[in-house]
Amino acid sequence: MKSIFSSLRDGRGFDVSLVAFPMAFLFLLSGLPLVYNIVMSLQEVDMFSLGTFARPFVGLKNYATLFSQPETWPILKNTALFVTASIAGQFLIGFGLALFFWNEFPGASWLRGLFLVSWVMPGLVVGAIWNWILSGDFGVLNYVLRSAGLISGNIFWRSDPAFALWAVILANIWLGISFNMILLSVGLSSIPKDLFEAAELDGAGAFARFFTITLPMMRATIGAVVSLGLIFTLQQFDLFAAITSGGPNNASNVAQYWAWDLSFRQYDFAQGATISVIMIVFVMIASVIYVRSTRQEVRG
Amino acid sequence: MSETWRNRLLLAVALGLAAVYLFPLYWMVVTSLKSGSAMFATPPSFWPSEPQWQTYAYVWQSRDVGRYLWNSLVIALGAVALVTLLGTGCAYVLARYRNVWIDIGLFLILMLQVLPASLMVTPIFVGFSQFGLLATPRLAVILAIAAKAMPFFVVLVRSTFMSVPAELEEAGLVDGNSRLGAFLFIVLPLARNGILVSAILIFMQAFGEFVYSKSMIQAAELQPASVGLNSFMGPNTNEWNNIMAFAAMYVGPILALFVLLQRRIVSGLTSGALK
Repeated sequence: MKSIFSSLRDGRGFDVSLVAFPMAFLFLLSGLPLVYNIVMSLQEVDMFSLGTFARPFVGLKNYATLFSQPETWPILKNTALFVTASIAGQFLIGFGLALFFWNEFPGASWLRGLFLVSWVMPGLVVGAIWNWILSGDFGVLNYVLRSAGLISGNIFWRSDPAFALWAVILANIWLGISFNMILLSVGLSSIPKDLFEAAELDGAGAFARFFTITLPMMRATIGAVVSLGLIFTLQQFDLFAAITSGGPNNASNVAQYWAWDLSFRQYDFAQGATISVIMIVFVMIASVIYVRSTRQEVRG
Repeated sequence: MSETWRNRLLLAVALGLAAVYLFPLYWMVVTSLKSGSAMFATPPSFWPSEPQWQTYAYVWQSRDVGRYLWNSLVIALGAVALVTLLGTGCAYVLARYRNVWIDIGLFLILMLQVLPASLMVTPIFVGFSQFGLLATPRLAVILAIAAKAMPFFVVLVRSTFMSVPAELEEAGLVDGNSRLGAFLFIVLPLARNGILVSAILIFMQAFGEFVYSKSMIQAAELQPASVGLNSFMGPNTNEWNNIMAFAAMYVGPILALFVLLQRRIVSGLTSGALK
């Protein structure tokens, strides 16, 4: 008894107990739900069997039902569009800003840090603000676009099926720019300056320097930033809840919102679990890419 | 062009970019100060000529903003306490040793970090309801948020511990400290800043959390401000000045925290994702 106690204070037991509790906690609240999710996707779950563990197994029937529904493919297509457009927008604008703030001038790092305010704001607040900015008749974005002569009539961002998804993409790009910019700035500042000086002496212009030095040196960072963007974009839920709720008629619905909607709006927990399982597989693949692209740092 | 002019020009452009980027925040404040009719004026005014400060008092009372913020605070503090208590020791061990098991542990933690809450909420909700945890919904939400946020915290704090020289700890052991003593009195004080920043980041995330709270807390008296804001925004609402006032009161404390600790938060965030 005494030796167990002293090992806890002073030996191997100390390390083991420090790790064991958090790992057990994570296993109970992340690992088990992950497994339970898969189990539920193979079961018939309704309001009556929700409270019991003895539910009939139906094999892959939930998956078959899911893919036979007419809205499944459009929603998966929306998800792909949402992810690609968001990442492209966030990355390009973020990279542009990072390159701009790379110029050293007084106040640069402080102003750059200010951008991150979007990242700490509650998603619902961001969604509410954009909901109002994108409002059809009185939205300030329509007013600005009209004054600039870019559009003649108001765009009904939230209720027009052709624009609803783009409304959320716009808000999501705004949200993600800052994070992309900060991470890319970190990558830029780690490139040795003398590389550029040498290239300039050799007569390389700004474009040549960008494509032969900046981009190749940034490869690892860009890989990490894009896969992080993928992970965060697939986590985006609050903006959908706050701006379009997936409507009109699923025009702006994406898989991660649909999974929740199926479970908590339509009480179809089996279908919700099924789409969750499929999406989690995607997220896992993205995170393996992320871990690989930052492996040196993770191990080092 | 002289150095000074170049700097001034760049600063001016930077200020312009920041102004465009932060316009949504400005628009929230301006809208919240407009009257019901000024809000729908065309063209919209970009400066509140007659600021309606009483909107804030009205919304605070009529929408129970205090109660919502209190619930957000309870949930966020609970999650931060749990994450810090469990995550710090875990991060310390993961930083101190190098072997296959540590690599596996780190990999698992990085995998758990990426699970989207909206996908995990279905099994967590059903499981919690089976174990009766939904009878204490705020506790249920705290547990769910803690599980979601802990991997991020562990990754951040681990990099802090790695910058604490192992020699200091070894010297402490030679001087007669137990492992526990060396951890508590030598390593922890040195890593205090990193732990604090990481805890603040977790706090901000938990303070704004929505999916779990929306799904698990049915009683309005226990809901946090994110859910309160969501139920305030009906599909055909025209109370945008009131909604923006609600949003401003909700985001205010976070903005204050951010401005105070900006430099540390930025460096904490970047070290977590890339280093």
